[in-house]
Amino acid sequence: MLMFVVLPLVMIAVYAFTDAAGTLTLDNFRRFFTTSEDLNTFAYSIEVAIITTILCLIIGYPAAWILSNARLNRSKVTVMLFILPMWINMLIRTLATVALFDFLHLPLGEGALIFGMVYNFLPFMIYPIYNTLDKLDNSYIEVAKDLGASPFKVFTKVTIPLSMHGVMSGVMMVFMPTVSTFAIAELLTLNKVKLLGTTIQENVNNGMWNYGAAVALIMLLIIGVTTIFSDKEDTRANETGGLL
Amino acid sequence: MKKFFAQAYVWILLVILYAPILIIAIYSFTEAKVLGNWTGFSFNLYRNVFGGGLNNSLIRAIENTLMIGVISAVLSTLLGTFSAIGIHNLHGRKKKAMTFLNDIPMLNPDIITGISLFVLFVALGVRQGYTTVILAHVSFCTPYVILSILPKLRQMPENLYEAALDLGASPRQAMRKVIIPQIKPGIVSGLILAFTLSIDDFAVTLFTKGNGGLETLSTYIYADARKGGLTPEIRPIMTIIFLTVLILLIIINLRSAKANSIKSDKK
Amino acid sequence: MKKLVATVLALLSGVILCSAADREHTLKIYNWADYIDESLLEEFKGWYKAQTGEDVEIIYQLFDVNEIMLSKIELGHEDFDVVCPSDYIIERMLRQNLLLEIETDFGDTPNYIGGIAPYIRGKFDEIEGSGKNANDYAVGYMWGTTGLLYNTKYVTREEVSSWNCLKDPRFKNKIFIKDAFRDVYTALTIALHKDQIDAGELSLEDITFDASDEYIRLVEDFLNEVKDNVLGWEADFGKEQMTKEKAWINLDWSGDAQWAIEEAEKVGVSLDYEVPHEGSIVWFDGWVIPKYAKNIKAARYFINFLCKPENAVRNMDAIGYVSAVGGEEILDSIIDTVKYAPIDARYFFGEEAGAVCINPIQYPDASIMKRCGMMHDNGDRTEALLKMWSRVKGDNAGMFTYICIAAALVAIALLALLSRRKKHGRRRK
Repeated sequence: MLMFVVLPLVMIAVYAFTDAAGTLTLDNFRRFFTTSEDLNTFAYSIEVAIITTILCLIIGYPAAWILSNARLNRSKVTVMLFILPMWINMLIRTLATVALFDFLHLPLGEGALIFGMVYNFLPFMIYPIYNTLDKLDNSYIEVAKDLGASPFKVFTKVTIPLSMHGVMSGVMMVFMPTVSTFAIAELLTLNKVKLLGTTIQENVNNGMWNYGAAVALIMLLIIGVTTIFSDKEDTRANETGGLL
Repeated sequence: MKKFFAQAYVWILLVILYAPILIIAIYSFTEAKVLGNWTGFSFNLYRNVFGGGLNNSLIRAIENTLMIGVISAVLSTLLGTFSAIGIHNLHGRKKKAMTFLNDIPMLNPDIITGISLFVLFVALGVRQGYTTVILAHVSFCTPYVILSILPKLRQMPENLYEAALDLGASPRQAMRKVIIPQIKPGIVSGLILAFTLSIDDFAVTLFTKGNGGLETLSTYIYADARKGGLTPEIRPIMTIIFLTVLILLIIINLRSAKANSIKSDKK
Repeated sequence: MKKLVATVLALLSGVILCSAADREHTLKIYNWADYIDESLLEEFKGWYKAQTGEDVEIIYQLFDVNEIMLSKIELGHEDFDVVCPSDYIIERMLRQNLLLEIETDFGDTPNYIGGIAPYIRGKFDEIEGSGKNANDYAVGYMWGTTGLLYNTKYVTREEVSSWNCLKDPRFKNKIFIKDAFRDVYTALTIALHKDQIDAGELSLEDITFDASDEYIRLVEDFLNEVKDNVLGWEADFGKEQMTKEKAWINLDWSGDAQWAIEEAEKVGVSLDYEVPHEGSIVWFDGWVIPKYAKNIKAARYFINFLCKPENAVRNMDAIGYVSAVGGEEILDSIIDTVKYAPIDARYFFGEEAGAVCINPIQYPDASIMKRCGMMHDNGDRTEALLKMWSRVKGDNAGMFTYICIAAALVAIALLALLSRRKKHGRRRK
């Protein structure tokens, strides 16, 4: 595992810090921070990722909760049904989405982009949440109820905090890939909207690996920092919050 | 009432999720090369699929996709389960470092992962082909497996493992009889996620497939789209595959439902 | 469990070793998808056996981006025997010494490579391969032009005979531009220098090799005026959208245009294609033998086999692109006096073809072709071109973006603060 995670990372770093001829340079980074288009694209990608993640969470959490609730859903197959569409190749699926939008006379563009993103990543949000909720110890809920908590209170004070790990996993699984996808944006906005993934793709497709690598590395660092930051809070909350 | 709303919600979501696939299925009954154009009802595409009017590369691509998907999903689930347990047992900074390390492949755009693995394999002098594609897939699927197992591990009562040991189980037994069943749902969903990711991957496969003539469905489709548009026969193929899986799933469902009712009868 | 993994891996590596074993009787072909009549691959085996008495197995691999193909050969040293890159990549490979000379002595087997149209050979002469002539290293396969695919219901032929139609406010949000900066840049530089070309001040070669800041700015200014009309910068799927009448004009390749016209006809949409008269580009894909090739003989015979006129015709029929092979046999098979008006195709088929009835989308009239130049490898200037392209395509982030990010950051901070507070409170209790 170390070999396949760390070594490629080192490779990316090497590429990011060198130019095409192989000499050591910081030019790639300077270029990124001085090219307003690229910075702009970066900000926009983050925005799309945030919106997608939030929407996935809003739509996915209730779904996961319903699926995990034995009284509302008895069959495990319904859960499978949520991931099945993902087994159709993404390009074809996205093309079909384009056809669907045509069919309903909806315009392609930012709205379509968000729809496509949420559509593609929703299962990645539902699954981890469903998992944590599924085996949630029902006795907590019973106890809370016995102690006189209203259903709403039970939900906000017991169910949600106890499923936080699943939510975190889901947020990661949705947020990270959305920052770097490109095919969905290409098709659903007729390539009018550019995401960071598109920028990287464009550079790589034109043989400029070094710059592509640098952009990827910057993305990695910035998002890495935020996750470490939130993770810290999270783990600490764990250690003490275990009792609840 | 509540149940009605809940089920309506789930079903509406499912309808939206399945709408594009329905489109594929509908348009598999017309001959137009462009998805979304209707040139009259016809079975011709299906006839082509079964009548051998299909080029070989496509069929081989589908076989490869499934093989690679299954193998890499199984391998990454194995690897992911052990890593997750390992990470879970770490503490403090080490744990944080490992979790972060685990996030990297997910965060990395797959094209960059693809290139770096390509360069790595070239540097190591490894012949690229089936094996490298599977290794690459395992490397980017494993984090997702880990991420779907970790929450389950955290939910598990901490002293369960020790309790099992105290009660006389060997570490292996404790693992197999206590921990694995506890995290099984996580493992299963990890497996499914890994399979899904593997069959959908394009960029990583592209760079690691080598020159032995290996194509997967994704690489085939992307290359196919470049000149002259997608082969329309993909639509019936997708429809057939999809329906097969769906029917299988329903059969399994009916069976387990039956098994369940028998069980409850016995009780 | 580990044993199982080991066995699986061992089995896999076994499969790979087996397939790699008989290398001298294997031909590795690396081609675009849908770019050959696949039954020809099977037939080649028999033909090769008949000509040389040797057996050959074929490994056929697809690529979708020139540069990725290039990096696989350049950095991965992958041993493809015969590859089909585009013009400017042939140029780059030639400069980097990645190609082997193609020996055309086939003994008793006729040399069909000589059948390549003189026009294509002339264009290959223009390829600047640091002293080497591209005709010795590459054999043309398919060629075409870049122009405007348009919907005849809304747009007239006169309008699309000039690039200026792209600026017409009537076509707001009705234009697709192919997301291919090299094609667009080269076509527009030629068009914008029409007067100098006609006056003989500049040659096509002077212009197409130039990627100076001045030229780039010229094209950028033009594109900025076009930008407001653009519905999308399509990659591959513009032609499909055209058949659905989502847009009226699409800057596209002739091969794609031919495909779209046929598809649109089936659903009752009438499309046509025109190369603007100010000039545009002509592109080629050609077969080359890379430096790391192992089975050079079979590769040479394969190229020869594809140049055989009847095979060239079959490929044209199967994929819809235009073969680089000229000569009577091809001409006879494509003449259709009912469908097409006569055009001057002497540049391709020689003196007798002064007025032949052939498809003008595939073979534009000589008056148009004289202002069509070819794309070149811009070397270090590629980056400047790409930057221009992304400037034109523009940005999407607005105020809302920053508000959104700020809100998310604040939310994370608040959550963090909140959880800390809670803990604090609990501890105090």
